[in-house]
Amino acid sequence: MSEIDTSPNYIANVNLRQVGKNKPRNDSPTKVFGRAVYAGDFHMDGMLYAKVLHSDRACANIKSVNTSAARALEGVHSVLTAENLPASNAVMTDLPGQVGGGTKNTKQPILAKERVRFYGEPIALVAAESYELAQKALELIVVDFEETEGVFDAFEAQKPDAPVVYGDDNIVAAYKIRKGDIEKGFAEADYVLENTFSSQYQEQAFLEPEAAVAWVDEHDMLNIRSSTQVVEHFRAVADALGLPHNKVHLQAPYVGGGFGGKEVMTIEVWLALLAMDSQRPVKLVQTRENSFVSHGPRHPFTFTHKTGVTKDGKITAMKITATSDAGAYAKLSPYILLYATVGATGPYRVDNLWIDSTSAATNNLPTCAYRGFGTMQANTACEAQIEELARLIGMDSLDLRRKNFIKTGDPNTTGQIIRSAVWSDQCATKALTALGERQEKTDTHLFGHGLACYQQSYGRIRWMKDTSESWVGLEVDGTAIVRCSVTDIGAGQMSSLAQITGEILGVPMNEVTVYFGDGHVNPLGGTSTASRALYMTGKATELAARNVRNNLLECMAEHFSVSPGELDLGDSKVFVIDDPERSMSIKEMVKHCASLGVHRHSLEIYRAPTSEGLDPETGQGEVFPDFTYGAHAASVSVDIDTGEVNVIKSVGAHDVGQAINLRTVEGQIEGSALMGQGFALSEELILEKGILQNGSFSEYLIPTSEDVPDIQSIVLESRSGLGPFGSKGIGEPVLAPVAASIVNAVADAIGSRIHDLPLTPEKVLAAITANKAATGE
Amino acid sequence: MLPHFELSQPKSLSEVFGSLAAGKGRPFAGGTILVPDLRGGSETSRRFISLAQIDALRYIKHEETGTTMGSGTTIADILKDQGMVSAAPALVAASDIFAGAMVRTAATVGGNICCGSPSADTVPSLLTLGAAVTLCSEKETRKVPLNEFFLGYKKLILRPDELLTAISWRPLQPGSAHLFYKLARRKGDAITVTGVSVMIAVSGNICSEVRIALGSVAPTVFRADQAEDLLRGQILTSELIEKAAKAAADQCRPIDDNRASAAYRLQTAEALVRRLLTQAWQKASTT
Repeated sequence: MSEIDTSPNYIANVNLRQVGKNKPRNDSPTKVFGRAVYAGDFHMDGMLYAKVLHSDRACANIKSVNTSAARALEGVHSVLTAENLPASNAVMTDLPGQVGGGTKNTKQPILAKERVRFYGEPIALVAAESYELAQKALELIVVDFEETEGVFDAFEAQKPDAPVVYGDDNIVAAYKIRKGDIEKGFAEADYVLENTFSSQYQEQAFLEPEAAVAWVDEHDMLNIRSSTQVVEHFRAVADALGLPHNKVHLQAPYVGGGFGGKEVMTIEVWLALLAMDSQRPVKLVQTRENSFVSHGPRHPFTFTHKTGVTKDGKITAMKITATSDAGAYAKLSPYILLYATVGATGPYRVDNLWIDSTSAATNNLPTCAYRGFGTMQANTACEAQIEELARLIGMDSLDLRRKNFIKTGDPNTTGQIIRSAVWSDQCATKALTALGERQEKTDTHLFGHGLACYQQSYGRIRWMKDTSESWVGLEVDGTAIVRCSVTDIGAGQMSSLAQITGEILGVPMNEVTVYFGDGHVNPLGGTSTASRALYMTGKATELAARNVRNNLLECMAEHFSVSPGELDLGDSKVFVIDDPERSMSIKEMVKHCASLGVHRHSLEIYRAPTSEGLDPETGQGEVFPDFTYGAHAASVSVDIDTGEVNVIKSVGAHDVGQAINLRTVEGQIEGSALMGQGFALSEELILEKGILQNGSFSEYLIPTSEDVPDIQSIVLESRSGLGPFGSKGIGEPVLAPVAASIVNAVADAIGSRIHDLPLTPEKVLAAITANKAATGE
Repeated sequence: MLPHFELSQPKSLSEVFGSLAAGKGRPFAGGTILVPDLRGGSETSRRFISLAQIDALRYIKHEETGTTMGSGTTIADILKDQGMVSAAPALVAASDIFAGAMVRTAATVGGNICCGSPSADTVPSLLTLGAAVTLCSEKETRKVPLNEFFLGYKKLILRPDELLTAISWRPLQPGSAHLFYKLARRKGDAITVTGVSVMIAVSGNICSEVRIALGSVAPTVFRADQAEDLLRGQILTSELIEKAAKAAADQCRPIDDNRASAAYRLQTAEALVRRLLTQAWQKASTT
């Protein structure tokens, strides 16, 4: 269920026929009936099957790799180790698909050479006639390891005597924010509260594991059809293999979920190497067990918050340190740390601010992008601290939030002025109200309500100079086509472009054909990451569709002897607004315009706002295009005897700017409710000295269909965003407050705070037992 | 990766017994444990005898003398059977939260018992029903109390030539309560951290019969007989229940694993025995 609240303040007289409506998505029928083709569904004649030898050690020298028995096995066509690769043996893992970027040490070996640095690091690749044969070949490869001392903790890794994982030291990235006068801020406070909060590894757990087929075609083009969020990895593949960029063709069919786990390259370059070496098509669908080590999970973070607050709830100072475990390779850790740094103050204005953040290399799994990209962890810590502040000074926590919410026109953490609407208060009030009355405790259960707000960016970091291109055209029969390389990762990316185009050109969205996921036949739309796909590709598509519309209306104005502004397109017709009887079908209109040589298509580029980075001493500057705001509220019950937490109701209320497809917005909110619930309560990759202990879905506990609470979506529309029709990005933002709201609800129920996630029944019971001991019950 | 394995597919029960006697492998029922174990490598056998076509193992029969259930009965079958609600309320409760909806349609009671896992969720409630299992081979049929079926962690008295064909128990007495609680890290598809079932029969204001079974807190699911002995023939006061819960906890031999610590298992086993005894006593006393 959802309700819509639209402010009339931003765009008046908006008359939308399709956008924002509850329309079935264009990709639904093919998915519901099982016809949609995913990367692992493709088969080619003569195709080989690949397997990857993943290290079973977390930190060891490789003395030798003997592949002779594997090579001798009949039906094995290719066995590759680091020795057989191009000399650089490196793939770029910096922010993908861009010309900007360039952080320290973001090249990662394709295959481990003298050393393995994490459990699961690839050592050898095999292509054979079948998976069984490839597996047999893997088992015949003999690796002579010499175990070495590793480091498995982000704090230990920063000590001077810690083993260095790679490069000169274990500092992957560090930021500082210095704003206002921190000492003065604390001096003005009536209370000062210090707390440390830590969070765990979280696995993306997409339904579809990494999957791809690679082959070299008759034009010597290296083709890869892969489950990826980023078709522009073709550049990184080409660079890694020493090929020209225009000789690698990467395409993505429908993707069965990404959540950031398919943002950095996963298996593409391995398959490229095997296809080049064997000159046969090669396929790999990772097993679930191997998928756990084939992409980077969410960074574990530790935040220490010291906050000054007046007795009437005004925050006077915040001093925060943040530390993340980057694991054995940098990947996107520097950027994720930046997001966490900006997000450390939540949706609050803090004028006296001091932040130090560090990401450290360890011999744990390399961590990487995961929906929320550091902001989610930072926000979870901040919202716990806010709740504790309210408790300390005996104030309602929503009232305390209201005293401190950032507002339009205010500077945020890095001094960036917020220009879009900030409806934190409205969202929080609606979410909390929707929970209803709090239940009274029983002999066996305690009950609690929790709230969390957030500020999360959408769009990529400004100095990435992000752009997106899209092509919109009309066929002579009046049907519409969109060409944009956006990858459809299950969030309706393709369908939204059809809906936007249909709205502007007056044709039903399900009659718009979208060519997507292929950057060699379509204009480059950019990545489906950073909550930017709708914002950027939607905006480019909107611009292109408006060009086509303007061309047609100019021509038709002459036909109807009116000005173009007096015409509208809708319901497959062009008509005079004040005299709708004067109309022509879109089909006739396009035919008419075509006969006059009117340009019926347009290629447009949308350029996101840019800037040149932060001041290194103060951390001040503009980082993101814009931000989304909202709230999540949850009610829980807690079993007094077992510590089990049951989420009863979970409500997301978000200002999405403008919903493009209401069902998709609801889907994002509902999905985030469960993803955040898993993070709060049950999900945790367990590593022992870097070795993964629970890499399976029976031991790694994502919420199941039976764990779904009563979820309510409340959609607010300020129409103030940078995206098409004033929309804001919501893919990541809707997740940012979920875990915090559940954690706060548990604290409300049991009367004390657990500082490290997830809240397992065991931790909750220990807290309840400690409370009983303290109160002498 | 799922390894290759042989699966013979007998069409009749006698063919199954013949295959077992001939050493053609182990029985393969719903496969919801075997397939993951084969994939994960903890199952090393490569020869199995499918029970998929043996309809004779899939039935539930309620009679005056008690209930008999074929070992091929699926968990979903239990949930669909109207008679089970009164014949074995705790078994219905256990079935309702057994794994997830998909697994319930494939997993069988016989398979759940014979996997020998301490976390097998049907076993505690069957133990508190005082159930017996029927073991058949080509040569003989024997009926064994379920309580004597488990010898140790995944060790059964079942011989390689035998098949567990049926589970049976006498009706619950009027004025009894039969409860189950599964403590797990999530609601669906979860491996039990602590499982407790309790059966209390009340007659003339005293506890005429009591059975307590615990799962996931020892190498096998077991009956807490020392606790039972404290309660049988007594009026259950909260002090007595407290004592019994402690006695039950004393019989636990839990381990630490990724799901929970031994200490937590012990603490919750005691708390849940206390809770279920209290609830069962109240319920049985008022019916």
